[in-house]
Parts: sequence; structure tokens; C-alpha cells
Amino acid sequence: MERIFDILKKPAVYYSLLIAVLAVVGGAAWAVYETQIPPEQPIDFPHNIHVGLQIQCLYCHPGAWKQASAGLPTQDKCWACHQQLTKYWDPENPVPLNQWPPELQKLAAYVENDEPIPWVPVAIVPDHVHFKHRPHIAAGVACQDCHGDMSSVTVAENPQLMNMGWCITCHQQKTVDDPVKREKLISCETCHY
Amino acid sequence: MAKNHNIPEYKAEWKAGEEGKWGMAIDMDICTGCNACVAACAMENNIPFVGEEDAGYGRGMHWIRIERLWEGKYPEVKTEFQPVMCQQCGSAPCEPVCPVFASVHSQAEKLNVQVYNRCVGTRYCANNCPYVVRTFNWRDYDRPEPLNNQLNPDVTVRQRGVMEKCTFCVQRIHKAQDQAKSEGREVFDGEVQPACAQACPADAIVFGRIDDPESRVSKLAKQGRGYKLLEDLNTLPQVTYLKGGSHVRNG
Repeated sequence: MERIFDILKKPAVYYSLLIAVLAVVGGAAWAVYETQIPPEQPIDFPHNIHVGLQIQCLYCHPGAWKQASAGLPTQDKCWACHQQLTKYWDPENPVPLNQWPPELQKLAAYVENDEPIPWVPVAIVPDHVHFKHRPHIAAGVACQDCHGDMSSVTVAENPQLMNMGWCITCHQQKTVDDPVKREKLISCETCHY
Repeated sequence: MAKNHNIPEYKAEWKAGEEGKWGMAIDMDICTGCNACVAACAMENNIPFVGEEDAGYGRGMHWIRIERLWEGKYPEVKTEFQPVMCQQCGSAPCEPVCPVFASVHSQAEKLNVQVYNRCVGTRYCANNCPYVVRTFNWRDYDRPEPLNNQLNPDVTVRQRGVMEKCTFCVQRIHKAQDQAKSEGREVFDGEVQPACAQACPADAIVFGRIDDPESRVSKLAKQGRGYKLLEDLNTLPQVTYLKGGSHVRNG
């Protein structure tokens, strides 16, 4: 044991060990940070502006109303509104495309090439979880209860870690006085199959 | 039935009014052993193709298999076909042996469910299953182009080291329940059909609620021809087989 301490007291060993520990801790911290920042999107979509214009969430994500997946809008959906904006598209005084805001130029390029916008989904669950939006909307859960207040963010980000404990906590809280429903909502096969 | 199994008597805890929810009736008079159910099941549930070599080692993966039973001596031979899948036992031998609770009983649907993301692959459940219906992913089997395009998005693709088995197509049950709820009604009889029942050209497999005495499956199960597999093990299976050969012997 004493020999090990003697070896550790050598400056070369001491400093190399210190550097190794710092590298591991730093790498871990960086990896955790990477999972917590919102991913880079093809277009820096400003949610705050669109929500501020009183556009409903379901207008661009209509799948949440009746399907499992809420869906992300294609270039056609964006363009349906944006081609009518008189700010840039006034027939008497049209603004040339190269003077549009840079993000709208990107959208125009997608429309020009007839390519769907490769949005990066932010609120995702693993493959072994089968989440459905429809029953949640039908049960009266508001979009912002899970996805946070979109009027305060530009690019979409997750307000919380979406894990099983978070799901189950809400399921249990909402079914305090209904044991039959609780049985169903905390049963494994409701989400995992 | 003769007690020829050398195991201690096991008393199932089966309370009144808890006879299960979903059940199946399989008419062995009608079944021709065409294997359409096996193919349909593999397509619906993303079951991989293990290849010739692994199949030779007995690692073939099917959630449903056709048992071929010979009767009599040549040339007076008769065959019977018996599709065997997970019997969704009410008192399942696979459940108490799982060390990580990956094989659990769903109280909501009264099904025996396998939670893939919990499974650590001890394979104890498969060893304890008297019907030998559980299959194990010995490898990550690849799906060459264009087979990956036919994967069912409603079913998890399992990894290597995970046990799996028939789920009574629980994804279809959920879909029908969701649809019924959105329309403000109950699921009607015959609305849910697992892939095997849907594919059966002879309609030998009937699926439905066995706690509803008016459903087609519970009427068939009460016909008198019905029997359960290894009934004396007291596993309380939800699948009823209807005896074949009745049209030959006694009409």
C-alpha cells in the first residue's frame, strides 16, 4: 500500500492521473450537455412569433388531434400562408427574394426544389414506447402541459426529461379516484408492446 | 384426465368473475394446416427470419406454429393440425420465474405480457412454459433491402437477447379500443382480429371477448367440443381448441 502512495507522489504520475480524471469528468459533462441542448434545425423556426400570431398548435401539427404522431409540417403547409404575406408579396411592390429574411429564403428554396423540410423531432420517445397523442388530447391535456410554453422559445426544445417516471406520475395523479382507469393507465402493455 | 405429469399439484388462484378478457377458439375440424397464420403473424409482429443454420439449431422464431398430429397406422393415416401460440394463461408458469418482472400479467387486459425493455434474457420463462411458445432472439437478425420496408411501426423491433412471444396482437386491441373510445362506444364483437385470425382462409381461428357470453368465441368454446391444452396443469389458458374429427366419428 505504501508503495502505491509513493508512486502516486511522483509528479509525472500525479499530473497524468489528474489530467486523466479531468478528461473523463469533462467528457461526461460534455456528453450530458449534448443531450440537453435542442438539436439544430434546418430552419430556425420562431415558435414565439407564430404562437404570438394566435396560430393554433393543431394547425401545423394536426396529427395530435386524431393520430399517434402529431406530425411536422411540410414545405407546402408553410408556403400556403407565407406566399400570401403582403409584407413581401404585395402585387404592386413585390420584395425580391434575395431581400427576404434569411430563414424565409431557406423556406423558399425548399419550395422551389419541392423538397420536404428535414425537421429534427425534439420531443421523442424510444422505439419501445408507443405513445399516442389522440387519447391525451381527448382527455383534455393541453399541448403546453408536456411541451412547455412555445410562445417563449424560438426553436422547439424540451421543457423536461420525458421518461417513464414522468408519464406514470401524471397517469397516477389524474386517476386518483378511478381505480379501473388507473389499472389501465399504469399497465405495462398500454405503452410497451 | 390422467395425472401423468410428474409435477406437484399446483392450485391456481382463479377468483370468480376473473375468467379473463380476450380469448380465442380454434376449430381443428376446419384448420387445414396451411401456415397462413404463421406467415401473417411474422409479418404483423416484425418477427425476423433466422436463416437455415440457426433454424437447424432450433432457434427458429415463430410466435405461432402448426403442430402436425398423426393418427392411426399406414395406410390408414389421418392428420390433424393444431396451431399453437401463447395461451395467455390466467395462471402463467412463465410469470413467477422472471427475475426482472419482464413477464407480467396485465390486470387491465388480462393478458400475459412481455416487456421487451425489461427483459435481460435469462430464458427461464421459456424453460418453464409448458407450451414451448416463447422464442428468444439469439442474434440481431438483419433484414436485407427491401424487407425493412415492411416492418410494422406499431410493434417494437426486438434486439438480441430478448425473449418474445405472441401478444394476441395487443397493438390491434389498443387500436380498436382507441377507435371505439373516440366514437363513444364499446368495442364490438369481431372488431379486433389478430393477424392469424385475419389471415386464416378457412376462418378456423375466432377471436373475441370470453367474458361476454354473447360473443362468437365464447359460444364456440361452450359447444362441448372444446378443450384446453395440458388442462391438468391448471394454467388456465385463454385459447380453446375445438376437437377435430367429429364429422367422421359421430357427426
